[in-house]
Amino acid sequence: MTKLSRRRFLKLAGAGAGAMGLYKLGLEEAVQETFAQSQRGQEPEREEVRVPSVCGLCPAGCGILVRVIEGRAVKIEGNPLNPNNQGRLCPKGQAGLQLLYNPDRIKGPLRRVGERGSGEWESVSWDKALGLVAEKLKEMRGEGQPHSLVFMHGAKPGLIHNLIARFGQAFGTPNVVEVPSSTASESASLVHYLMQGWRAPSGYDWTNTNYVLSFGSAFLESRQPIVKMLQAYSRLRRGRPDHRSRIVQVESRFSVTAAKADEWIPIEPGTEGALALSMARVIVEEGLYDRDFIENHTFGFEDWIDEDGREHIGLKTLVLRSYSPRAVAAVVGVPVETIRRIAREFAVTRPAVALGDVSWQTNGLFSQMAIHALNALVGSIDVPGGIIRQEDPPFAPWPLTVEDSVTSQGLAMPRLDHAGTRKYPLADGVYEALPESILADDPYPVNAIFLYQANPLFHSPEPDWFYRAFQRVPLIISFSSFVDDSTSYSDLVLPDHTYLEGWSDDVLVPSLGYPVLGLGQPVVQPLYDTKNTGDVLIELAQELGGTVAESFPWQSFEGLLRFRLRDIFEAGRGSIVTDTFDQFWDEFQERGVWSAPPYRFGDWERVLATPSGKFEFYSQNLEHTLEAVTAREAAEKGTTAEEEMEKMLQELGLQARGDELHVPHYEFPRWVGEETEYPFHLNVYELMSLLDGRLANLPWLQEIAGLHIKEMWSNWVEINPETAKERGIADGDLVWVESLVGRIQAKARLYPGAMPEVVNMPLGQGHMAHGRWAKGRGANPKRIIGNEFDYLGGLATWSSTRVRIYKA
Amino acid sequence: MPRWGMIIDLDKCTACQACTVACLAENNVPFAGPEETSMGRAILWHEVIGGIEGEYPDLWATFIPRPCMHCDNPPCIKVCPVGATYRREDGLVMQDYDQCIGCRMCIVACPYEVRYFNWRNPQWPEPMDQYLNPDQGPPQPTGGRGGPDVRPRGVVEKCTFCVHRLEKAERKAQQEYREMSEQELTLLPACNQTCPASARYFGDLDNPKSTVSRLARGARAFRLLEDLGTEPKVIYLKEGR
Repeated sequence: MTKLSRRRFLKLAGAGAGAMGLYKLGLEEAVQETFAQSQRGQEPEREEVRVPSVCGLCPAGCGILVRVIEGRAVKIEGNPLNPNNQGRLCPKGQAGLQLLYNPDRIKGPLRRVGERGSGEWESVSWDKALGLVAEKLKEMRGEGQPHSLVFMHGAKPGLIHNLIARFGQAFGTPNVVEVPSSTASESASLVHYLMQGWRAPSGYDWTNTNYVLSFGSAFLESRQPIVKMLQAYSRLRRGRPDHRSRIVQVESRFSVTAAKADEWIPIEPGTEGALALSMARVIVEEGLYDRDFIENHTFGFEDWIDEDGREHIGLKTLVLRSYSPRAVAAVVGVPVETIRRIAREFAVTRPAVALGDVSWQTNGLFSQMAIHALNALVGSIDVPGGIIRQEDPPFAPWPLTVEDSVTSQGLAMPRLDHAGTRKYPLADGVYEALPESILADDPYPVNAIFLYQANPLFHSPEPDWFYRAFQRVPLIISFSSFVDDSTSYSDLVLPDHTYLEGWSDDVLVPSLGYPVLGLGQPVVQPLYDTKNTGDVLIELAQELGGTVAESFPWQSFEGLLRFRLRDIFEAGRGSIVTDTFDQFWDEFQERGVWSAPPYRFGDWERVLATPSGKFEFYSQNLEHTLEAVTAREAAEKGTTAEEEMEKMLQELGLQARGDELHVPHYEFPRWVGEETEYPFHLNVYELMSLLDGRLANLPWLQEIAGLHIKEMWSNWVEINPETAKERGIADGDLVWVESLVGRIQAKARLYPGAMPEVVNMPLGQGHMAHGRWAKGRGANPKRIIGNEFDYLGGLATWSSTRVRIYKA
Repeated sequence: MPRWGMIIDLDKCTACQACTVACLAENNVPFAGPEETSMGRAILWHEVIGGIEGEYPDLWATFIPRPCMHCDNPPCIKVCPVGATYRREDGLVMQDYDQCIGCRMCIVACPYEVRYFNWRNPQWPEPMDQYLNPDQGPPQPTGGRGGPDVRPRGVVEKCTFCVHRLEKAERKAQQEYREMSEQELTLLPACNQTCPASARYFGDLDNPKSTVSRLARGARAFRLLEDLGTEPKVIYLKEGR
């Protein structure tokens, strides 16, 4: 049996209320049975515990069990009790120790003393650092300028996300902007909003799926939650006796996912929507669609007449009018027969699901709509083996913030990123639009930027824009644990704990359907003089006093967490049901996870929350949003809504008009650079190991980076061997990759999985800072990616830049 | 006496490499860094090998997770001049770091390329030494230990099938007067425990009822470089080879 000494007990008791939970963990048979246990008498006795928590290396929310010996974390393993990962972990999760014990971590608050970016800092105390920030924030509110604070944060799930939003709300700035880790799930979220009425990625019932048609979704590499996806793959392949699900990967590159699929269909970049619509046509034409589902649960399949007696076209008419496989084949580069065959297979091998991660193109949202329409055509919405809607844990809404006049006036100011305006009508936030506004004081100057798990100087397209914008902002504050690219240009660093040192919660990324909540607890004592950013924000709010302080009546982030968890306790359902809250809290700490299976199918009001209560091929949410935006503009300018609509659609570069606009259809993609000058598409992708690059300073992940091409510790550009030969480029040559925006150098790798007119680069390398193993390693492709965005959602489109290639 | 073996189902494997990193973490394997790696000096007891083959657009990929094969007829033992590498009764092929003279004959002899030489003393920049696994392995013939610990410059090291975890579990089962369960066994090596696709199994190949022996007899089973007669105890599964 695991031993926990009194000393360790007291140490933990001092760190928080976790000690009881840890102690009981030693008795947790379900957890313990899978592990080899003590060896009393054989080796010196040690204090050894396994502490349940949640992984912090991506937002997926896998449960972990950390083996802690004498206060040191020596191994991270999966928590078998967490249904998300069932005891398993991906390579990133395994590498978390190198984040905690990374030699490049920031050891305490820092104030810049040299020029920005010079790397000259002085240590300051927390009191002093927080005093400086509070003073500045008070000044901004005193001058009636709370909106001049921009809070950029990463895609971190759970409470901290809400806390940041609340801080903006209470302080009085509309400029709380998310920097997504990848835009993939964001565009899927939007499509669900347009067609099903809720804005989030979906889950999948992998247990019963028979056919997976993936349009560029790297679901075995970078999609979240990755462990669940890999488990799903295993199940689809060998999970049922005598039954092997078919997997088809449509993608402009032979990825690892393509390699593990049954069939790879290379496709012209940006044409996925046309292919999906052509398949829809085959399914409609041959009568292979699910009549029952179409009749009972969809809107806009057949032509229809509205309340005013106007006729509208449905999806059926649209696909039969255009999108014949013969016409589409030439556009997408896929043979007619393949289009027909895959469409038939998809329609008859039910339950089938179509996945898409095509948001890295300007027409991505419409392509994604077309792909999602396939799911509805074959009746795969909310059925076993189909698409499901993730249920959130039963949290009650937060108490409202208290507002004074300064706050109300600040919140009433327009957002700097123009989200939700005619520029980006469907957007929640458009971080890549900030530099332009900041540089032009449009419509007001920015006085301070907060950065929480956001690194725009690395992650944004054409990051030079952000460099220039930063120069115009008098105060930049970073909460990073590392001096990353953006932190190196900040003025003050208030370093956060790593995920193994502080409290957090983690709401499962949509996947299983039923709600899952993970608990992140301090696994070890904080190594350095760092502070949970949640605590820092609460402290700052209280320091600001007045209504801001009133909106944050909690003593600490842990206190807030316990306050929020009362909702779960009171719901009295799921894996932890107790008499008192204290019992709930203890058990939650012991298990590290709460969940409430099973998923309930067929709750149509929840799954189809559209104006019609049906799956909308004709998206009324899209129609209404566009109408509302243009009506607002027309009212302001005294023009007509029709004029404004036409103007907006032209500015957005949309070709469709009228009904077609609201139905899945094909829009031609926009490209940065002309084909004549820049003959290649630059297709970027995320690796299993490095993702978007935030993990580039972990040596273990650098060591496994480029498996498919045997490249470690570097980045490279993949070129089709024939193409390379024509250009006199040999394997391993250094080449320039040049776009309209600029050029970077990379090692050329001849890769048969590259299409002749597409060159591929992994993201994640090319940091200007971020630690000894990340800095200066390779080039960051985002430096030459044009600041182009998706038509409606304002999502940065990473693969819409054209390049030329020549030897360096 | 059991004869330990491992099964890796390539039809389930997704080449995610969690196994590789779990091994690095469990066994205190030092990371090489870019310079040493470019000289071919990276140490990876477990590695996913293979890659993409064919010509555009007719391509296929073979990704093979590769630990030590713990051969029943291991070529490495035959060439070792000092007896530093040996086969235990339970079939594990072990390396005695105290005995090894670093001649690297075994590295050349091993057709699976699973053996690695320490070109320098391992280093972990502070505070990375904090995460080192303090577990010791079983006693070696020369009195040293053959577990994770750390290995000095000039010796050869390799996968042990996580022998320290195996022995710990064996002792525990003995104390509790019971056999180790299938599930317990399969999750014993760190690589197996983390595998998201549950593609790996571990157990007694000589027990006709064990999962590993049942899978090893199946139609999908094969071994790497079968014709060399090394009798490897890592058995792969794949459809339609």
